[in-house]
Amino acid sequence: MAEINPKYFELDKEMRDRDLDESTPVSLLEDVKGKGRVWDDLCEQYGVDNPDPPWRITLEATCDMLAGGYWETFNVCKPKEERDSEEEQKHLDAVERRWEEDQLVNKYYDEVPFPERQLLALAHTLIRRGLFDEEELARRMEEIDRRLNSA
Amino acid sequence: MAEKHKPAPMVDEVSEFEVLEIAVRELAIEKGLFTAEDHQRWTEYMHTLGPLPAARLVAKAWLDPEFKKLAVEDGVKASLEVGIDWVNSMPTHFGTPSDYCNLRVLEDTPKLKHVVVCTLCSCYPRPILGQSPEWYRTPNYRRRLVRWPRQVLAEFGLQVPEDVEVRVEDSNQKSRFIVLPVRPEGTEGWSEDQLAEIVTRDCLIGVAVPKPGKTANDPRPVRPAVNPYHH
Repeated sequence: MAEINPKYFELDKEMRDRDLDESTPVSLLEDVKGKGRVWDDLCEQYGVDNPDPPWRITLEATCDMLAGGYWETFNVCKPKEERDSEEEQKHLDAVERRWEEDQLVNKYYDEVPFPERQLLALAHTLIRRGLFDEEELARRMEEIDRRLNSA
Repeated sequence: MAEKHKPAPMVDEVSEFEVLEIAVRELAIEKGLFTAEDHQRWTEYMHTLGPLPAARLVAKAWLDPEFKKLAVEDGVKASLEVGIDWVNSMPTHFGTPSDYCNLRVLEDTPKLKHVVVCTLCSCYPRPILGQSPEWYRTPNYRRRLVRWPRQVLAEFGLQVPEDVEVRVEDSNQKSRFIVLPVRPEGTEGWSEDQLAEIVTRDCLIGVAVPKPGKTANDPRPVRPAVNPYHH
């Protein structure tokens, strides 16, 4: 039986004791939240019975890759400021992401169903942490929208 | 004359959420957070996962006392018999990044009922059980199950008699859990395939028990958590 990392217990306490620091709504994501059609509605309109949108697994894979993917055997759960290398700085631990997802969903995306809320929270987290900015994301979404609707 | 082929219904529009998912992924790749090749390999692997191997593990354990002993003592080793290699079959060849390599199989008895949660986030034995359901991820389930397990199980339609102990197992950084329920009456003489059919995902999490004729999970309500996080 593997021993439990004592840091886990510290982290557990830290997660319970802290609040999401200053956060603001992201207007781009508010726009998606308002205008975006969720999978349940699309299924009803088109008579599709797949319970999950086709992008759920790719979203999960993105989350796993951000947590360190192939190169991180165990989730180190270190807060960002304690990470040493540039490579470590790029990672978003699963437990951090999930904690922040809970907070952001509670604050901004409570009425959005799953997994759309998970996606909005992830985008919000990546913007908050400066891994990319809102303008870049907006530009990229416009490009992709043109691409996907070009047929 | 052959009937005209009718295409399966499909969603014939691009949603903002679909666009957002691709945009987030592409930007992360461009920023060097991970590579497109790694993401693709991982996605392909994730598409192979589901609850059937865990159901088969339970069915085998019901039929073979020696295998049951192995499953309870060493879940990772027992998983090999149902085609799941927690260490070597992942694209990583050293386990999954967030599912780790320690599976424990929790054996129910007529006087003991196990149920699994992850109070901190949503740890789940994905290699052998697939993706977690939405309700499992919610703070409402995670917070309340550990405090009032009997009441929460009752909301799932599972009334546990007072003389049966309920044990909640909290998934953690290193361990994942599945429940090995009690084999139900009325399944005498059944084959492994027949038995595996009634071991649903919810039975493996512990919020349901297997019943002859019941082969699907019930729809589960998802409730918000209304109290502040500190409570």
